Amino acid sequence: MEPMTTFEIITKVFLQFVPVWGALIATFTLSIVYKRKLGLYGKLFDSTIGMIGFALVMFWVFTAIFADMIITHDPIQVVSGMKNKVPGTPVPPGTQGFTHYLFGGDNLARDVFSRMVMGAREVLKIAPAATLFAFMVGIVLGLPAGYFGGKLDTVLSFLANLVLAFPVILLFYLLVTPEIVATGIPVYMAAVLFLFPILFLVVLWNSRYFTQPQKRNIYVALTVLIGGWLYIGLAFDADPLGVVSMPPNVLIVFVSVVFVNSPTVFRIVRGIVLDIQTRDYVAAAQTRGEGPWYIMLWEILPNARGPLIVDFCLRIGYTTILLGTLGFFGLGVSPESPDWGSTINQGRRLLSVYVHPALPPALALMSLVLGLNLLADGLREESMKD
Amino acid sequence: MSTDYDGPILEIDNLSISFFTRLREIPAVMDFSCSVQPGEAMGLVGESGCGKSTVALGVMQDLGVNGRIVGGTIKFKGRDLNTMSSEELRKIRGRDIAMIYQEPMASLNPAMKIGKQLMEVPMIHEGVSEEEAYKRALEVVTDVRLPDPERMLKSFPHQLSGGQQQRIVIAMALMSKPSLLILDEPTTALDVTVEAAVVKLVKDLGKKYGTSMLFISHNLGLVLETCDRLCVMYSGEAVETGSIQDVFDKMQHPYTQALFRSIPLPGADKNARPLIAIPGNFPLPHERPPGCNFGPRCGYFEEGRCNAKDIPMFDVAGDDRHATRCIKFEEIDWDAPPVAAGGQINTEPGDVVLKIDNLKKYYEVAASALFGGDKKVVKANETLSFEARESETLAIVGESGCGKSTLAKVLMGLETATDGTILIDNREVQSTEIQARETNTVSNVQMVFQNPFDTLNPSMTVGRQIIRALEIFGVGDTEEERHERMLKLLDLVKLPRAFADRMPRQLSGGQKQRVGIARAFAGEAKIVVADEPVSALDVSVQAAVTDLLMEIQRENKTTLLFISHDLSIVRYLSDRVMVMYLGHVVELGTTDEVFSPPYHPYTEALLSAVPIADTSVEKEHIVLEGDIPSAMNPPKGCPFQTRCRWKDRVAGGLCEKEVPPIRTSSTGHQIKCHLSEDVLSEMTPVIKIAAE
Repeated sequence: MEPMTTFEIITKVFLQFVPVWGALIATFTLSIVYKRKLGLYGKLFDSTIGMIGFALVMFWVFTAIFADMIITHDPIQVVSGMKNKVPGTPVPPGTQGFTHYLFGGDNLARDVFSRMVMGAREVLKIAPAATLFAFMVGIVLGLPAGYFGGKLDTVLSFLANLVLAFPVILLFYLLVTPEIVATGIPVYMAAVLFLFPILFLVVLWNSRYFTQPQKRNIYVALTVLIGGWLYIGLAFDADPLGVVSMPPNVLIVFVSVVFVNSPTVFRIVRGIVLDIQTRDYVAAAQTRGEGPWYIMLWEILPNARGPLIVDFCLRIGYTTILLGTLGFFGLGVSPESPDWGSTINQGRRLLSVYVHPALPPALALMSLVLGLNLLADGLREESMKD
Repeated sequence: MSTDYDGPILEIDNLSISFFTRLREIPAVMDFSCSVQPGEAMGLVGESGCGKSTVALGVMQDLGVNGRIVGGTIKFKGRDLNTMSSEELRKIRGRDIAMIYQEPMASLNPAMKIGKQLMEVPMIHEGVSEEEAYKRALEVVTDVRLPDPERMLKSFPHQLSGGQQQRIVIAMALMSKPSLLILDEPTTALDVTVEAAVVKLVKDLGKKYGTSMLFISHNLGLVLETCDRLCVMYSGEAVETGSIQDVFDKMQHPYTQALFRSIPLPGADKNARPLIAIPGNFPLPHERPPGCNFGPRCGYFEEGRCNAKDIPMFDVAGDDRHATRCIKFEEIDWDAPPVAAGGQINTEPGDVVLKIDNLKKYYEVAASALFGGDKKVVKANETLSFEARESETLAIVGESGCGKSTLAKVLMGLETATDGTILIDNREVQSTEIQARETNTVSNVQMVFQNPFDTLNPSMTVGRQIIRALEIFGVGDTEEERHERMLKLLDLVKLPRAFADRMPRQLSGGQKQRVGIARAFAGEAKIVVADEPVSALDVSVQAAVTDLLMEIQRENKTTLLFISHDLSIVRYLSDRVMVMYLGHVVELGTTDEVFSPPYHPYTEALLSAVPIADTSVEKEHIVLEGDIPSAMNPPKGCPFQTRCRWKDRVAGGLCEKEVPPIRTSSTGHQIKCHLSEDVLSEMTPVIKIAAE
């Protein structure tokens, strides 16, 4: 069979992404039509930069969602004779999937295109969730540090600075060292870090509904039940139902990312609290005898959401790069994994001879992070306007 | 420039300025005309959002990226500013036209010494030598009456007080001897007694340098004291312009009239001259009505005439350059007395609900946070004793730093007292923090805050916030009951029930303040501490909110502790007045006692400093020297001795040695002063209403 021309490759790739295009068009049409009713999210569609960023991010999100429909081959399937073949090379007859390798084959004769598409799923499975956990930790510790100040603030800020001062890569190397894993440190860290979201929600419900014990009990019970179930499953891999679990290597990546990101979030939250707590509505809450956690979680936190949302977007970007870095060093992910960092690393070895295996994941990583940064820029710009 | 030019300094002709947002064009100023003659001071008065600052920025040609002049001309000494290049404009700004802004600290470069900032002006604009510039800087700083000018030139802005900073800003504006000085609310950020001094200075300097002035203010009293002519603006238009005498005494526009009727004057009390609030709200720039902008709120509105077409300015015959934008000005009987909303029934004060005895609040401030060092003690409240009765209004008057906010904090339980007792309903609460207080005590003492834009949580609906207060105070058993009660509270503060689902940003300042009041009364509060509840509101809304507060007070028999620096409003609504200075109560008595001699010397100065918007009032001008001493380092003896003009009447320098005792008259009027009875009885009233 003939190799595909560049034009044919582009057309085919475009067609493969049809579900993504459809979803993107639907999202944008609906959002633009109702943009005046959608608050800050709607305002995003007034800023070109924000729209470009949002489109890039959503492209990869939809790619991750529809990955099974987009890929042309199984991402870990090895087809003999396809090692390091250039883009558009036809596969031997009888191979499953499409007739050609769209972006060529890598050094293990796997399809580069499908690995890139599946890589989006790997990255987007971890990055936002890890960032969310980092935010939970940062918020739960940053709020009291800023609100109460004093010794608590001094101690927590010192610890945060300590973590920030420690070289990140070294920390990762330490955490994945088999000896360290054997001591159970990553699991203990997960046990502590994963507790924060549950703590956060319990305090949130209690401070709000303590005047209505019945309602409070329902919310708290639900949080503890569902949270506890997820907690046991994720942190200790001991889900009695056997549904929730996290592979040990992913757990390590997750824990490390949360651990190094939370001090920065802590400092941001602490700073915003120092500013907002001087407002009259905080004083008004104090003078009607509200507890400190109600004031922190219901009076201060919702008004800190602007800067936090922007930082959240930027931080997903950093986390994505961090995941790429980890994968590049082969830390914490299985060698088979199609995540972008590992793929780039594998492609790097033969980079001077074959560029094509390393390029697509690198461009994918770049465009996602760029999209997140532009999105954060757009949000920041729009949230400051009237 | 052309020194022989003898026409008007500034001529604004049919000026229209619009701001362009992504939704629409917002006209900020429409068809605005005025002219300023050499040496004349022109006042620009109006509520916030009426476009007065936009006019000033238009003159400076500094409207930002969104603003644009869409029509009309601005001529400065006969030259059109609109057509000038930015090069030419740069030459004029700062040299021929200087501007003074509201926040003095924001106008000074914090990283540069005062002297250097002042010297820059002539060095850049006129290229004079450094020595010459220094000489001039010294001269101007002396002119603005700052003590020790040479030391001033060597200090950084943060080392000066607010009043001194504003004087430096004025000095900087005068450095190049401009022909036109634009003052945008120059004293709003300052205390009353400091304001009085700065206003006097501006007035004197204007005369000395022969500078024309454009004085922007929302305070009619200030304009009366500083300007020759004024222009009243409403919703982007000039509605009335003329000389001070004409506009104040022979007003020809319903808005001007309504404005005057809605401000309290310290010369008269609430029975003689009740406040009349302007109904309705200020229209948003894109929701202006057709025809007369003031139409929907005007008592003289006539359907089909006032809202038919745009109203031009009409000249008032017989007066000097007096014009009004009212189509019916010749038909309205301007002398007709206002229709009062019915006399108010004064409720008799009942039992004592709050008793404060010898209250002291000291803060310890470590000299160095890290190494401990010497601890300094700030005496925020010093031996306060007073009581307040049911359904009584006790006003607490004083300038910033006098300890009135600390008193409120201790009362609310946000801080605990250092010494003394606070009795609320016969329960001692001085050392009980709010967390430890019973729900009942907490809901009994509530607070209304000063800043309407800060008093509500921006991310919670209005209804939700009131319901939360109800939940905390344990009012109502079910969600529905509380919802019903919340709607009733909205009725109480005269807000439509639909507001329950609105977010605070959809409300105007006055409406937010009403929600704040509703929230404070959620638990049937017995004592309400109102911390300057109307001072941040526009004049036309102030009256309505004040009346509302008093009405609720009468119905609920609430004790109102009204903290304010505005003596006009204090006189209007309070039964008793307590004057504070540097943590001390210097005078306490019924409103009549405090507002008439004998005064404490500080009360006397305070009364004299209040700008009064009434041409028939004669005031004695008492300008206090210097600033309020720091509470960290209070003067020895009487706290007021550093600024007191009666000090030399006390023998033996007693004022500098001892804190004066409280002297109580037979009627219970307390004055904390060393002056003898004879000297006190010599005092004459500060405010006199001239016989007409």
